[in-house]
Amino acid sequence: MYRKKLDHKISRRKFLATTTTTGAVLAVGASGFSNITHAADKTVKIGFLAPLTGPVSAWGKPGLDGCQIWAEHVNAAGGVKVGDDNYKIEFVAYDNEYDPGKARTGAAKLIKEDDVKFIMMLGGDTWPGVQPLAEKEGMLVSTLLPSDLTPDTKTLIAPCEVHPIYNVTGVEWLAENQPDAKRVVICAQDDALGTPSVATYLAAFEAAGMELVEEPLFFDPATTDFAPVMTKLLASKPDVLCLDTCYADYVHPLCEQAFQQDFKGTIISCTADFYPKIIDKTSKEFMEGFIFQFPDFDDPALNDERVNFANPNEFYAEYAQRYGAAEWSAVSWEYASIMDIWSDAAAAAGSVEPADVLKAMKASGLVKHAFGDAGWWGEELFGIDNAVVGNWPVVVIEDGKAVIKEYRSIPDWWAKHKDLMIKHFTALGQMWNQRA
Amino acid sequence: MGRVLAKVIATMSELLLQTMINAVYAASYMSLIAVGLVLIFGVMGVINFAHGELYMAGAYTVVGLYSFMALPFFAAVVAGMVFVGILGLLMEYALFRPLRDNPLGGLIASIGFLLILQTAAVLGFGVRMAHIKPPTQAKFHLMEGVVLTEQRLYVIMAAVGLLSALYVFLRKTKIGWAMRACAQDKEAAALQGISLNQISRIAMFIGAALAGVAGALTAPLVSPTPYMGHSVIVTAFIIIIVGGIGQLEGAVIAAILYAFVHTFVTTFYNGVLADIVGLVLMLLVLILKPTGLFGAKERA
Amino acid sequence: MPNRKTNLSSWALGTALVAGLIVLPHLLSFSQREIAVLLIINVLLVASYRLMTLTGEWSLGHVVIMGVGAYASALFSKSLGVPVPLSMLLGAGTAAGLAAILSFPLFRMKGFYFLIGSFAAGEVIRLIWKYFTNPFGGAKGLKLIPSFPDINLGFADISFFEPENYYYLCLVVVGLSLFILYRIEASRIGLTFHAIHWQDKLAEAVSVDTFRYRTLAFVLASFFAGLSGTLYAHYIGTVNPTRFDVEEMVYVLIWAIVGGTATFCGPILGVVVLTIINEIILRALGLDTVRPMIYGGILIASVLFLPDGLESLGPKLKRLFAGKRPSGQLEETT
Repeated sequence: MYRKKLDHKISRRKFLATTTTTGAVLAVGASGFSNITHAADKTVKIGFLAPLTGPVSAWGKPGLDGCQIWAEHVNAAGGVKVGDDNYKIEFVAYDNEYDPGKARTGAAKLIKEDDVKFIMMLGGDTWPGVQPLAEKEGMLVSTLLPSDLTPDTKTLIAPCEVHPIYNVTGVEWLAENQPDAKRVVICAQDDALGTPSVATYLAAFEAAGMELVEEPLFFDPATTDFAPVMTKLLASKPDVLCLDTCYADYVHPLCEQAFQQDFKGTIISCTADFYPKIIDKTSKEFMEGFIFQFPDFDDPALNDERVNFANPNEFYAEYAQRYGAAEWSAVSWEYASIMDIWSDAAAAAGSVEPADVLKAMKASGLVKHAFGDAGWWGEELFGIDNAVVGNWPVVVIEDGKAVIKEYRSIPDWWAKHKDLMIKHFTALGQMWNQRA
Repeated sequence: MGRVLAKVIATMSELLLQTMINAVYAASYMSLIAVGLVLIFGVMGVINFAHGELYMAGAYTVVGLYSFMALPFFAAVVAGMVFVGILGLLMEYALFRPLRDNPLGGLIASIGFLLILQTAAVLGFGVRMAHIKPPTQAKFHLMEGVVLTEQRLYVIMAAVGLLSALYVFLRKTKIGWAMRACAQDKEAAALQGISLNQISRIAMFIGAALAGVAGALTAPLVSPTPYMGHSVIVTAFIIIIVGGIGQLEGAVIAAILYAFVHTFVTTFYNGVLADIVGLVLMLLVLILKPTGLFGAKERA
Repeated sequence: MPNRKTNLSSWALGTALVAGLIVLPHLLSFSQREIAVLLIINVLLVASYRLMTLTGEWSLGHVVIMGVGAYASALFSKSLGVPVPLSMLLGAGTAAGLAAILSFPLFRMKGFYFLIGSFAAGEVIRLIWKYFTNPFGGAKGLKLIPSFPDINLGFADISFFEPENYYYLCLVVVGLSLFILYRIEASRIGLTFHAIHWQDKLAEAVSVDTFRYRTLAFVLASFFAGLSGTLYAHYIGTVNPTRFDVEEMVYVLIWAIVGGTATFCGPILGVVVLTIINEIILRALGLDTVRPMIYGGILIASVLFLPDGLESLGPKLKRLFAGKRPSGQLEETT
C-alpha cells in the first residue's frame, strides 16, 4: 500500500516535470487517432503467456507492462503495415503461474479461442507443456531462455536474449581492462538458469586466461543467509567475484555480504537489477567498477546508430513514469524488443500468419536485434539455429550509475573460442542432446 | 615453507572463526522463530503453519515504517514485534479459539491465514523483494579477516535477551507456571482454575511477537519478499522435530545444532548438501525417536 | 436398509450424472475442456486422499506420492520403452510400493508427528528428484514424456492429444477407480478403517492389527494418487519437482476440507466447486492477484462456519425445505 502511494507521487512529479515530452506523446497519439478513422484497420492479436502472479511473476509482469507501452506507441503511429493493411496490435495475456499444465490450457485458449498469431513466453518449466500443441498448430512461440531449444522445436525462437552466451562479452572486457585480475571464484543458484551460465563463464574465463581458484559454488534457491556462502567464496582471496546469473534476490544479499566481509576486488555478474538499492546497502565506492550486461535504457549510448530498439530513452521515460524508475528491470524491454523483430518479419512477409512470419524471419538471415544487426545461430549448442546473436553491451557501474562501456560481438568470440564453450557445456550436461 | 604453512593455518582459522560467527547468527534468528512455534504448539496444541508469514509480516512492518515512513529503525522493530503479536492475538481469537477441539481445523485455518497474509503483502508491496537501507553499516573486526556486523549483532543480542527473558518468565512468574501447566495437561490446568483463554492469548502473543521481531531485525539483511516465509517454515519444522515438538529448550538446542551443521557444511562442502544433511538429520530423528532428541515419551 | 424409492431415485440421479459427464465436453470451449481434463485428474487425487484420511491420519505427502507415480510412469515409458498403458499401471504400482516402504517409519507416528513426518518424507523425495539429475532431470524435471498411444478404429483415429478424447479416457479410468475406492470403503476393510479412526485402542483390543490396516489404507490411497499422477504426466508431457510441492498439497487439503470428508462425495464436490471458482470465474473477473487471498478466505470460512464441508449443505437445505428440525439434534436430546 505504501509503495503504491509513493509511486503515485513519483509519477505525479515526473508528470509535471516532463510535460513537454508528455505533450509530444499526446500529439503523436492524436495524429494516430486521426489515422484510424480512414485507414483500413485490422487487428492482430499476440499472446502473452507468462507467469503474472506468484514468485516467478517478476519475469513476466514487467514484460507485459513494457509491451503495453510498445503497443500504444506502435498503434498510435498507425500500427504495423503488412501488405496493404495496417494492423493494430492487441496483446492477450494469460497467467500460467509458471505451471506447465496451466501453460498448456493457456496456449489452447490463446490459439483456439483468441486466434493469436504469435505467442511470447518466458519459457523454462512451462515450455514443455506448450510444446506439443505449438508443434501441432504450427504456432510461432518465443522464449527468453534458449535452453528450451532443441532440434525438434522448429517453431520456437529465442530472438532477444541468448542467455547466457552474451556473458562472454563482460569477461572479455574485464580481461582487457584489468589484466592483473586473474584469480576468480563463481557462485550460482542450483537451477536451470544458473548451471548453463556457469558453463559459459568458465569458458569465458579460460579463454581470457583467468584462473578459477575454487570449484563453482552452487547454493539452493531457498537460501536466505548468504554469509556462509560468501565466507567460503572469499576464503581463497580472489581478485574477481563472479555472481553468474543469480536472481536479484541473491545478487543483493551476496553483494552486501561481499561488502561486509571486506571484499576489495571486482565483481562481475549477468544482471544487477535495481542496482541503486545495492549501492544503498553497500557504498558507491564498493560498487564502482561492477560489470554486468543489462543497461538502463536512458543511457545515451543506446542512441548509437547500430542500435535497433526504437526510441530507447523515450521508452524508458514512459516506463519510469507509469510504473516508477525503481521497477525497471531486464525483462521490461525484452518482450517489447521481440515484438520489434516480429513486426519487421510480418511486414517483410506481407502476412501475420505464423509460418509466413517465421519464414521471413529466417529468410533474410539478418535480424534487427535490439543491440545491432544479428544473425541466426545455435546449431552447435542447441541443435537448431533458432537463437539470434549479435552484439551485446558491457555495462559498468561508474559513480553510482550504469554506463554502457562498449558493444561487443558475440559471434567474434564464438569464432575464436567455441571449443571451450562446447567443452564446458558438455562437462555440466548442458548440450541439447544431454538435456533431452 | 614454514611461512606458507603458517599462512595456510592462519587462513584456516580465520575461515573457522568467521564460520562460527555465521553459525551463531543463524542459530539466533532460527531459535527465535522455532521457540515461538513450539510455544504455540505446546500451549494450544496447534501447529501454526502461518508462522513463516508472521516472520514475513514483521519484516514488512520495518519496510513500511522504517523505509517508507522514515521512522527510527528500532521504533519500527518494536512496532513490528507488537503488530505481529497482535496478529497472533487475532489468530487466537478468530481461528484457534473457535477451533480448540479441532486441532486439524486450526492447522487448516492457519494455512488460510497464510494465504491471506501473503496476498496482502503482494498487494501492499508488490511481488518483488523490498529494499531496506541498512540502519547501520558498522562492523567489528574481531581479528584479521573475521567480521561481525552490527546489524547481525543486534539479532544475536535480541535472541539471547528475549529468550532468557522468556525462560525467566516461564520459570519464575505465576503466569509462566500456569503456561507450563497448560502445556503438560490442559484439563488438569483448567481444574486448577487456570483460564485457558488467557493463557492461550499470552502464548500466542509471545510466540507471534518472537517471529515478528526475528523478521523485523533481519529485514535489512534478507531483502523481504511476500514468499519469504516458505523457506523459514521448512527450517523451523526441521528444528522443532529434532528438538521435540513441545520442547522449548529442545528447540533452542536444535536450532543451534542445525545452524552449526548447516553453516559448516555450506562453507566446507556446499549449500545443496547442507539442505540434504538437514533433512536427513530430521528423518533420522523421526525414525529413531519420533518425539525428538529432547522430547518426552510419545504422547497418545 | 434403504427403501426402493430412494434406490430408484439414486439410480436416476446416477444415470443423469453419467449422461451429463458424457455430453459435458461438447458444452465447453476448447480451453475449458483442457481444464476439465485437469479437474478430473484432481478428482481422483482428492478421492484417494480421502481413503487415506479414513484411518484418521492426515498426510502432507500425498501430492509427492502422485508425483512418484508420474515420474515412475514417465521413466518407464521414456527410458525403458514400456508401452504407456502398462507404464501407467507400473507407475501407480511404484507409488504404492514406495508407500509400503515409507509406512514403516511413518506409522511409528500418529497425529501431528505423522503429519510432519509425511511432509518430511515428501521433501526428501523431492530433493532426490532435484539432485539426481540422472534419471530424474533435476530442477527442470522430465519432458517429452510419451503420450497415450492413438487408437485406430479403422474408420477413425482417436488421438489422445485432443483434450476431448483424453477427457473420456480419464472419465473411464477415474470412474473405474472411484468405483473401486467406493467398494473398498463399503467393505469390511473400509469399516475397519473407520474403526481405527474412532477407536484405535478398542480396535486393537479386538485384535485388529492397526498398523497393517493403516499401511493398507496408505498403500491403496497411494496407488490411486500415483495413477492420477500418470494421467497427468502423459497428458501434459512434462513433470518437475515444483509441480508437486507443498503448495499443491495445500490445495488438495483445501479441496478436501471445503468439500467435507465425512462422505465419499465431499472432497469431489470440493475440488469441482473450487476449480470452477478459481479457473473460470476468478480468471474471467480478472482477479488474478487476489486469488490466493480469496482461497484463504474460503478456507477459513469453511472451517469455521461449515466444519462438515459443502457436503453438509445438501441435507441442511433439504431439511430447510422440508420444514423439519435437524433430525440429528432431536435424537441427541432425547
